[in-house]
Amino acid sequence: MATYQNIFSTVQVRGPFHEGPPMDPGGSPWRRFGRPRFIDILGKFGDAQIGPFYLGFLGLTSILCGFIAFEIIGLNMFASVGWNPRQFVRQLFWLALEPPSPSCGLHVPCPLNEGGWWQMAGFFLTASLLLWWFRTYRRARALGMGTHVAWAFAAAIWLYLVLGFIRPILVGSWSEAVPFGIFPHLDWVSAFSIRYGNLFYNPFHALSIAFLYGSTLLFAMHAGTILAVSRYGGEREIEQIVDRGTASERAALFWRWTMGFNATMESIHRWAWWFAVLCPLVGGIGILLSGTVVDNWYLWAVKHGYAPPYPPIEPPVIDPATIPGAGQ
Amino acid sequence: MNESLQRILPRAAAVLGLALTLSACDYPWYQSIQRGYRGDGQVLILNPDLHQQRFDELEIPDSMPQADPNGPRAKDVFKNVKVLGDLSADQLVRVMISMAAWVTDGEGCNFCHNMEDPSLDVKYTKVTARRMLQMVRYINSHWTKHVGATGVTCFTCHRGRPVPVNLWFENPSSPPQQDAFVGWHEAQNAPMVSIGSSALPVDPFTLYLKGSNNVRVQATSALPEHGMGASIQQAQWTYSLMMVMSKSLGVNCDYCHNTQSMGSWELSSPPRATAWYGIRMVRALNNNFEASVDPVLPAERHGPMGDGPKLYCATCHNGAFKPLYGISMLKDFPELKGDPDKAQDYLTWKQPGPGPFEHFSSFAAPALQLTAAAH
Amino acid sequence: MAMLSFERKYRVRGGTLIGGDLFDFWVGPFYVGFFGVTAVFCAVLGTLLILYGASLGPTWNPWRISIAPPDLSYGLRFAPLAEGGLWQVITICAIGAFVSWALREVEIARKLGIGYHVPFAFSFAILAYVTLEVIRPMLLGAWGHAFPYGIFSHLDWVSNVGYQYLHFHYNPAHMLAVSLFFTTTFALALHGSLILSASNPPKGEVIKTPEHENAYFRDFIGYSIGPLGIHRLGLFLALAAVFFAAVCIVISGPVWTRGWPEFWNWWLDMPIWR
Repeated sequence: MATYQNIFSTVQVRGPFHEGPPMDPGGSPWRRFGRPRFIDILGKFGDAQIGPFYLGFLGLTSILCGFIAFEIIGLNMFASVGWNPRQFVRQLFWLALEPPSPSCGLHVPCPLNEGGWWQMAGFFLTASLLLWWFRTYRRARALGMGTHVAWAFAAAIWLYLVLGFIRPILVGSWSEAVPFGIFPHLDWVSAFSIRYGNLFYNPFHALSIAFLYGSTLLFAMHAGTILAVSRYGGEREIEQIVDRGTASERAALFWRWTMGFNATMESIHRWAWWFAVLCPLVGGIGILLSGTVVDNWYLWAVKHGYAPPYPPIEPPVIDPATIPGAGQ
Repeated sequence: MNESLQRILPRAAAVLGLALTLSACDYPWYQSIQRGYRGDGQVLILNPDLHQQRFDELEIPDSMPQADPNGPRAKDVFKNVKVLGDLSADQLVRVMISMAAWVTDGEGCNFCHNMEDPSLDVKYTKVTARRMLQMVRYINSHWTKHVGATGVTCFTCHRGRPVPVNLWFENPSSPPQQDAFVGWHEAQNAPMVSIGSSALPVDPFTLYLKGSNNVRVQATSALPEHGMGASIQQAQWTYSLMMVMSKSLGVNCDYCHNTQSMGSWELSSPPRATAWYGIRMVRALNNNFEASVDPVLPAERHGPMGDGPKLYCATCHNGAFKPLYGISMLKDFPELKGDPDKAQDYLTWKQPGPGPFEHFSSFAAPALQLTAAAH
Repeated sequence: MAMLSFERKYRVRGGTLIGGDLFDFWVGPFYVGFFGVTAVFCAVLGTLLILYGASLGPTWNPWRISIAPPDLSYGLRFAPLAEGGLWQVITICAIGAFVSWALREVEIARKLGIGYHVPFAFSFAILAYVTLEVIRPMLLGAWGHAFPYGIFSHLDWVSNVGYQYLHFHYNPAHMLAVSLFFTTTFALALHGSLILSASNPPKGEVIKTPEHENAYFRDFIGYSIGPLGIHRLGLFLALAAVFFAAVCIVISGPVWTRGWPEFWNWWLDMPIWR
């Protein structure tokens, strides 16, 4: 017999529009803009309301910088196929805006068409992200809320800066940074792992993946739990935090009986926050250490005794370059 | 039993039944070959039908019965015999007839010779063929570490045709740098069949198979020793070469490497050493024989940049892990083996040095210390 | 007893799938149930076999222990214990333990009168495991295609299997799964942050309401999915990530044997622009 699982809403309630709690404008002239729109199909899954939106100075400048970066990247990609629109669409996933070659070192700017554009796009993208970060902070402050979103975002920005800025500076070359392109950035990832002796042996990489999969696990667990107790109002998490109801109690007991311990309605969100934040945080450390402190992670693992042993190949293969007279 | 079990059981039974049926079928249709210790994932997965088809299409010409090695030497019987003069006259004729089957696509002796006076060097094909014969003997005598006793003949590359199917020329068709101001593609990020349709650098051929740039990029110590070491760009170039080699041999990375540590020789399989010699052999051939044949060839045999054809792994291998799937034609043609002591005489350019950097600015920086770690 | 302050009233009889009242009790905070017994049995047996396998191997270092599947030459048959058979029995124990765990979660959910969403979600993870260790090896004709049980050795398997296809990042299902994993982590960070920011305001402020949560995201990006929607979204993202991960590995080998970059030739060679 089929039961309702609360995946899609069958009934949507619409009240008169209310703008929501006032924000403290902090003296700036910006206000929320846009009439809200209600989209039924959206309402079957989430909230149906789109808008209003708060632009603000930070939002405006961030979007502007982001747009400039996007255009620099896109137009360079377009130029690289000779401004042929068909080839642009065809090759889009393969196209890229590449960082400078090693010959440019850490120079700023590099010749425009040999990394200069990349530097410019990187600059504008970074500016956009930092402005957007400040926006996440300001919007929370304006509503009198904690700034947890901003600090979580900071972890992601840390990883971004390590990849494109901090590590290239430490190793002395912009060429080490990531290209802007779909497949090319994946080539970079593979090449990075090949160059540094198999990143699976980088302990920070392993930890970061553990937090990545752990976050997915946690979200499945938490979301499943809340949906399972949604018949008791479990999704009203703030209220359940200050006034524990049967939803929180059953949710906690489900896990206590399953695995022997449990979180609370608030603390599960702390577990969630830390798992999600530690993924890029620890990952950034792992990237930073590659090439600066450790040059070959497999050999480092052998040195520190955690590379697994396999039976040797018989007969052993000898490096031909070490055989005298074998030539270059 | 309650309701939910009643619903689940028939579906579970169906899935189980399907699984059992499938496992009883004649499969797998792909063949898996284990290349390393059990469970470490080093497996070659081959499509046996595809390779059977390619094997059937080989059409290796039957070898003529052996000629009489006794009798006067060819250089005394025929005029203008510069390479195969040491053979008997009968042996020379045998080789000539075989070559007609191996490279002329049915045109026969006329392809190289003016039959009114076959000794004349009027056709470029004859001059080229002479150099090719030196090349074959050079390969078979000097490069046994790669070709073994199996060796090569003209057919290995030419497969019955004047021009081998897989060759390369300078600057393959990546989009030319039209605009100086914008759209720098740095010789990569354009999908090409040769590099397996990836976005990796498009021309590892010039760098590694004509030039002798260092293929190795991994550090040999856990902690950094000599400055920066190879760059990520260099790792991409090496990866690109590896894609070319994989495609040429119809194998994957696990054929030679244990990717636990790609650079470690003690973890690698024997074909990796064979491939090491193969790369050096290709460099020697491209810099000596192809280079000296260029001026002789007519314009239509040249590439878009005006250079002559050059070879790489696929020229002989043609998508098989061994050319001709390991069949040796050389055993029927010991005349083409060559003398190891004389092999170096064929070379016009002795020692490959660092290759043409100037095309590719990724390699322009002395900070990369390429030569310091070069092998 | 290890009970929470409000727990006693929830400890009622009922909800079991199998066994009725026989195993309907708790040990400390743990609910037992029929499937608790089978889970513990399979888990303990599997663990002991892993330890036994380690004793046959060259090391007791937990990072280096590895229990490997049989050689490919054994096909889908049972191998001698020391030649991969141990791995086979451990795998059976693992599947038994995982399925028991999921069914135990069903029993607990029934007892508590809540939905089955958690065991449903867990079954995706079990499906991914079974895909890797059973379905794909069966399709390829040998148990030896499965990954070994070892902390770093299973990563060597991942690396080598990836390079079987020259450049695994180009696998479209892998691209989708990776994107979903990162998006799930991103969404989790946002959700955790939002709840904490509403319930932990700066000094001097009062705890905020769901209206504030909605207002934050509408101000921020113009849209707020809402307290129910975010959990639906999170569950969907997480399960889709795991699902497409299973898809990406099951198509590698049984469906596609060439390099993954070459897969994209269908796009590159479309007649309108080749």
